[in-house]
Amino acid sequence: MVPEPIALDPDPVIDAYKRDVDRTLLRENLKLTPEQRLLKLQDVVRFLAELRDAGRRSRQ
Amino acid sequence: MRPPTDFRALLSRLLSAEVEFILVGGVAANIHGSARATYDVDIVYRRSPENMSRLVDCLSPLQPYLRGAPSGLPFALDLDTLRRGLNFTLTTSAGDLDLLGEVTGAGSYDDLLPATETVTLFGATCRCATLEALIRMKRAAGRPKDIEALAELEALREERG
Repeated sequence: MVPEPIALDPDPVIDAYKRDVDRTLLRENLKLTPEQRLLKLQDVVRFLAELRDAGRRSRQ
Repeated sequence: MRPPTDFRALLSRLLSAEVEFILVGGVAANIHGSARATYDVDIVYRRSPENMSRLVDCLSPLQPYLRGAPSGLPFALDLDTLRRGLNFTLTTSAGDLDLLGEVTGAGSYDDLLPATETVTLFGATCRCATLEALIRMKRAAGRPKDIEALAELEALREERG
Protein backbone atom coordinates (compact mmCIF):
# COMPACT_ATOMS: atom_id res chain seq x y z
CA MET A 1 0.00 0.00 0.00
CA VAL A 2 1.29 3.45 -0.90
CA PRO A 3 1.05 5.90 2.03
CA GLU A 4 -0.88 9.12 1.49
CA PRO A 5 1.24 12.08 0.31
CA ILE A 6 2.01 14.53 3.07
CA ALA A 7 2.31 18.31 2.94
CA LEU A 8 5.79 19.78 2.57
CA ASP A 9 6.56 23.37 3.52
CA PRO A 10 7.58 25.40 0.47
CA ASP A 11 11.26 26.27 0.29
CA PRO A 12 12.16 29.25 -1.94
CA VAL A 13 15.65 27.90 -2.72
CA ILE A 14 14.32 24.52 -3.81
CA ASP A 15 11.56 26.22 -5.78
CA ALA A 16 14.17 28.31 -7.63
CA TYR A 17 16.14 25.19 -8.57
CA LYS A 18 12.95 23.40 -9.56
CA ARG A 19 12.51 25.75 -12.51
CA ASP A 20 15.59 24.19 -14.17
CA VAL A 21 14.53 20.57 -13.78
CA ASP A 22 14.05 18.84 -17.14
CA ARG A 23 10.58 17.45 -16.59
CA THR A 24 10.53 15.65 -19.94
CA LEU A 25 13.04 13.16 -18.50
CA LEU A 26 10.84 12.62 -15.47
CA ARG A 27 7.74 12.10 -17.59
CA GLU A 28 9.55 9.48 -19.68
CA ASN A 29 10.71 7.68 -16.54
CA LEU A 30 7.23 7.69 -15.09
CA LYS A 31 6.06 5.63 -18.06
CA LEU A 32 8.42 2.82 -16.98
CA THR A 33 8.05 0.21 -14.24
CA PRO A 34 10.32 0.52 -11.18
CA GLU A 35 12.45 -2.36 -12.48
CA GLN A 36 12.78 -0.75 -15.90
CA ARG A 37 13.88 2.50 -14.22
CA LEU A 38 16.55 0.63 -12.28
CA LEU A 39 17.82 -1.15 -15.40
CA LYS A 40 17.95 2.20 -17.19
CA LEU A 41 20.05 3.59 -14.33
CA GLN A 42 22.33 0.56 -14.67
CA ASP A 43 22.83 1.29 -18.38
CA VAL A 44 23.66 4.94 -17.63
CA VAL A 45 26.15 4.03 -14.92
CA ARG A 46 27.86 1.47 -17.18
CA PHE A 47 28.05 4.01 -20.00
CA LEU A 48 29.56 6.64 -17.69
CA ALA A 49 32.14 4.11 -16.49
CA GLU A 50 33.08 3.33 -20.10
CA LEU A 51 33.45 7.05 -20.81
CA ARG A 52 35.59 7.50 -17.72
CA ASP A 53 37.86 4.61 -18.71
CA ALA A 54 38.11 5.83 -22.31
CA GLY A 55 39.12 9.29 -21.05
CA ARG A 56 41.76 7.79 -18.81
CA ARG A 57 43.18 5.65 -21.63
CA SER A 58 43.36 8.64 -23.97
CA ARG A 59 45.46 10.57 -21.44
CA GLN A 60 47.99 7.74 -21.00
CA MET B 1 39.63 0.80 -11.72
CA ARG B 2 36.61 -0.74 -10.05
CA PRO B 3 33.69 -1.77 -12.26
CA PRO B 4 30.43 0.14 -11.81
CA THR B 5 27.99 -1.03 -9.18
CA ASP B 6 25.85 -3.94 -10.32
CA PHE B 7 22.50 -2.89 -8.85
CA ARG B 8 20.78 -6.08 -9.89
CA ALA B 9 23.42 -8.32 -8.34
CA LEU B 10 23.47 -6.45 -5.05
CA LEU B 11 19.71 -6.14 -4.66
CA SER B 12 18.94 -9.68 -5.83
CA ARG B 13 21.41 -10.99 -3.30
CA LEU B 14 19.89 -9.02 -0.43
CA LEU B 15 16.36 -9.97 -1.46
CA SER B 16 17.05 -13.66 -1.89
CA ALA B 17 18.74 -13.74 1.54
CA GLU B 18 15.55 -12.19 2.97
CA VAL B 19 17.48 -9.35 4.56
CA GLU B 20 15.06 -6.77 5.98
CA PHE B 21 16.05 -3.47 4.43
CA ILE B 22 14.60 -0.29 2.96
CA LEU B 23 16.02 1.25 -0.18
CA VAL B 24 16.81 4.94 0.24
CA GLY B 25 19.07 7.43 -1.53
CA GLY B 26 19.69 7.72 -5.24
CA VAL B 27 18.59 4.22 -6.22
CA ALA B 28 15.29 4.71 -4.40
CA ALA B 29 14.93 8.07 -6.15
CA ASN B 30 15.51 6.38 -9.52
CA ILE B 31 12.91 3.77 -8.71
CA HIS B 32 10.46 6.64 -8.20
CA GLY B 33 11.47 8.13 -11.56
CA SER B 34 14.49 10.35 -10.90
CA ALA B 35 16.79 10.84 -13.89
CA ARG B 36 19.95 11.50 -11.85
CA ALA B 37 22.77 8.99 -11.98
CA THR B 38 23.90 7.41 -8.74
CA TYR B 39 26.74 5.03 -8.12
CA ASP B 40 25.95 3.23 -4.91
CA VAL B 41 23.12 1.44 -3.17
CA ASP B 42 21.94 2.90 0.13
CA ILE B 43 19.89 0.73 2.45
CA VAL B 44 18.48 1.17 5.94
CA TYR B 45 18.75 -2.26 7.55
CA ARG B 46 16.87 -3.62 10.55
CA ARG B 47 19.25 -3.99 13.46
CA SER B 48 17.79 -7.18 14.91
CA PRO B 49 20.38 -9.90 15.63
CA GLU B 50 18.72 -12.24 13.11
CA ASN B 51 18.69 -9.68 10.36
CA MET B 52 22.26 -8.54 10.96
CA SER B 53 23.31 -12.17 10.81
CA ARG B 54 21.52 -12.58 7.46
CA LEU B 55 23.19 -9.40 6.21
CA VAL B 56 26.65 -10.60 7.19
CA ASP B 57 26.12 -14.03 5.60
CA CYS B 58 24.73 -12.46 2.45
CA LEU B 59 27.55 -9.95 1.99
CA SER B 60 30.55 -12.01 3.08
CA PRO B 61 31.09 -13.63 -0.33
CA LEU B 62 31.27 -10.13 -1.85
CA GLN B 63 34.32 -9.25 0.24
CA PRO B 64 32.95 -6.06 1.78
CA TYR B 65 35.56 -3.48 2.75
CA LEU B 66 35.48 0.11 4.00
CA ARG B 67 35.17 2.40 0.98
CA GLY B 68 38.06 4.79 0.61
CA ALA B 69 40.08 3.21 3.43
CA PRO B 70 43.69 2.15 2.86
CA SER B 71 44.01 -1.48 1.93
CA GLY B 72 45.23 -3.95 4.53
CA LEU B 73 43.19 -2.73 7.48
CA PRO B 74 41.99 -5.52 9.78
CA PHE B 75 38.36 -4.98 8.79
CA ALA B 76 35.83 -7.76 8.57
CA LEU B 77 32.11 -7.23 8.23
CA ASP B 78 31.06 -9.73 10.85
CA LEU B 79 28.24 -9.68 13.37
CA ASP B 80 30.43 -8.08 16.02
CA THR B 81 31.49 -5.27 13.66
CA LEU B 82 27.91 -4.64 12.64
CA ARG B 83 26.75 -4.64 16.25
CA ARG B 84 29.45 -2.17 17.36
CA GLY B 85 28.86 0.19 14.43
CA LEU B 86 25.80 1.73 12.86
CA ASN B 87 26.43 3.13 9.40
CA PHE B 88 28.98 1.62 7.02
CA THR B 89 30.10 2.85 3.61
CA LEU B 90 31.34 -0.25 1.88
CA THR B 91 32.82 -1.35 -1.36
CA THR B 92 32.08 -4.91 -2.48
CA SER B 93 32.86 -7.05 -5.49
CA ALA B 94 29.38 -6.13 -6.80
CA GLY B 95 29.84 -2.40 -6.18
CA ASP B 96 29.38 0.24 -3.54
CA LEU B 97 26.88 -0.30 -0.76
CA ASP B 98 25.99 1.92 2.18
CA LEU B 99 24.52 0.14 5.19
CA LEU B 100 22.60 2.59 7.32
CA GLY B 101 21.40 1.67 10.79
CA GLU B 102 19.85 5.11 11.05
CA VAL B 103 19.36 7.94 8.63
CA THR B 104 18.94 11.66 9.25
CA GLY B 105 15.33 12.72 9.04
CA ALA B 106 13.94 9.19 9.14
CA GLY B 107 15.59 7.29 12.01
CA SER B 108 15.88 3.51 12.10
CA TYR B 109 14.35 0.80 9.92
CA ASP B 110 11.34 0.55 12.20
CA ASP B 111 10.91 4.33 12.29
CA LEU B 112 11.02 4.53 8.50
CA LEU B 113 8.84 1.49 7.85
CA PRO B 114 5.49 3.38 7.79
CA ALA B 115 6.89 5.65 5.07
CA THR B 116 7.74 2.87 2.64
CA GLU B 117 6.10 1.15 -0.27
CA THR B 118 6.81 -2.16 -1.91
CA VAL B 119 8.03 -2.51 -5.48
CA THR B 120 8.71 -5.60 -7.54
CA LEU B 121 12.34 -5.90 -8.60
CA PHE B 122 13.77 -8.94 -10.36
CA GLY B 123 10.85 -11.10 -9.31
CA ALA B 124 11.01 -10.20 -5.65
CA THR B 125 9.31 -7.67 -3.42
CA CYS B 126 11.53 -4.85 -2.27
CA ARG B 127 10.73 -2.18 0.29
CA CYS B 128 11.54 1.35 -0.82
CA ALA B 129 11.18 4.68 1.01
CA THR B 130 8.32 6.75 -0.39
CA LEU B 131 9.10 9.81 -2.47
CA GLU B 132 7.87 12.00 0.38
CA ALA B 133 10.20 10.22 2.82
CA LEU B 134 13.15 10.70 0.45
CA ILE B 135 12.36 14.40 0.24
CA ARG B 136 12.14 14.69 4.01
CA MET B 137 15.47 12.88 4.44
CA LYS B 138 17.22 15.13 1.95
CA ARG B 139 15.70 18.23 3.51
CA ALA B 140 16.75 17.08 6.98
CA ALA B 141 20.31 16.39 5.82
CA GLY B 142 20.52 20.04 4.73
CA ARG B 143 23.51 19.52 2.43
CA PRO B 144 24.02 22.15 -0.27
CA LYS B 145 25.01 19.39 -2.73
CA ASP B 146 21.52 17.90 -2.38
CA ILE B 147 19.58 20.98 -3.50
CA GLU B 148 19.45 20.03 -7.18
CA ALA B 149 18.44 16.47 -6.33
CA LEU B 150 15.82 17.78 -3.94
CA ALA B 151 14.40 20.10 -6.60
CA GLU B 152 14.13 17.13 -8.95
CA LEU B 153 12.39 14.96 -6.34
CA GLU B 154 9.89 17.72 -5.62
CA ALA B 155 9.28 18.22 -9.35
CA LEU B 156 8.77 14.46 -9.63
CA ARG B 157 6.22 14.64 -6.85
CA GLU B 158 4.32 17.31 -8.79
CA GLU B 159 4.51 15.28 -12.01
CA ARG B 160 3.08 12.23 -10.29
CA GLY B 161 0.19 14.37 -9.07
